[in-house]
Amino acid sequence: MWVWFSKLGSPKWFYELSGKWLPWLIAAMVIFMTIGLVWGLVFLPPDYQQGFTSRILIVHVAVAGTSLAFFPLMLVAGTITLVWRMKLADMVAKHAAILGAWFSFITLATGSLWGSVMWGTWWEWTDSRLVSMLFQLFLLLGVISLRSALEDSETAAKACALLSIVGCINVVIIKYSVEWWNTLHQVASPVSLDPSSPNGPQFWIATLIMIVAVYLFLSVSLILSTRNEILERERRSQWVQDLVLKN
Amino acid sequence: MKPHRRKKLGIILFIAAGLSVAVGFTAFALKQNINMFYTPTQVAEGEVGVGLHFRIGGMVKTGTVLGASDSLKVNFVTTDFVSDVPIQYEGILPDLFREGQGIVAEGEMDAAGVFQASRVLAKHDENFMSPEVKAALDASGATADNHMPGGEN
Repeated sequence: MWVWFSKLGSPKWFYELSGKWLPWLIAAMVIFMTIGLVWGLVFLPPDYQQGFTSRILIVHVAVAGTSLAFFPLMLVAGTITLVWRMKLADMVAKHAAILGAWFSFITLATGSLWGSVMWGTWWEWTDSRLVSMLFQLFLLLGVISLRSALEDSETAAKACALLSIVGCINVVIIKYSVEWWNTLHQVASPVSLDPSSPNGPQFWIATLIMIVAVYLFLSVSLILSTRNEILERERRSQWVQDLVLKN
Repeated sequence: MKPHRRKKLGIILFIAAGLSVAVGFTAFALKQNINMFYTPTQVAEGEVGVGLHFRIGGMVKTGTVLGASDSLKVNFVTTDFVSDVPIQYEGILPDLFREGQGIVAEGEMDAAGVFQASRVLAKHDENFMSPEVKAALDASGATADNHMPGGEN
């Protein structure tokens, strides 16, 4: 296992392996994204109270759920950076922060759109779910700024890793905010297998497809930007120069 | 694992655990401050100081919505099925406002014990269903209606 683990830390090995995976991941992403979006935005049945406005939530729920994966990912990457000093982990963490900020922003934007119609307000400072999500966006912007503020890349990697580990606690707060405190935001909808009961499969299957699609999108984007980062940081190494000459 | 790496991992775990405990205690201490609203029962039990601007959350009691014909004034009663609080509001109500629906109102208690709301928001619960499913549930007499917002608080 340790051999495999240290192999994973080699940028060259990752670059080659991810190159083989990418076409498959992209194909799967396109398929899931198309099915999810068409089903969710065109064929999803209207909600008895909200009508077609509930379709916004297909995108919102998938992006919001996925946006909670970034800090755990950065926690793992940060721990590897601090303990084993693998460069690859830091490259992944760098781009996870940038992607995560976008995901958090889209979560807030789609949620606001829906809220402005259904709740009668687009933002509530007193709602702990909303504010903790905004806090996640700020934390990620903080991680991004911290990296660009520190000139020495090794110091930056360590500092960002530490902030990511500390920031992870916010994910727990986001997740349970709706249960621990009174909020305007609903609690998580339970899924039901019975099509004649609330939250039946006609609603959640489309959401599930969309969640898979968004996770695939996250993987593809992260792999693409990490590959870019590898080429940039390893540009002086022999294998990158060989690669450039070959193409 | 090499000893110096084990030590580092230990430090990270220690920081993470310490931080979780600290945040946990803070959140617990701030419990009522972080809550978005008080329930009608909390209001009835006098948990809210007199003359304070606050938010109240509950269901719109069925059959209590009275709108004026010549203005946007509306009176209704909000309930958590234990206590009731009458609310008066003048303004545009959100689309989702209706009887049996969860709402959050912001304002003050007046001397007569009526909550004078300056804002009313609709709370959506966690149930999504198509009109057909809703009609079928209503026909069979099952109450798939909204749960009380906020839970046991």
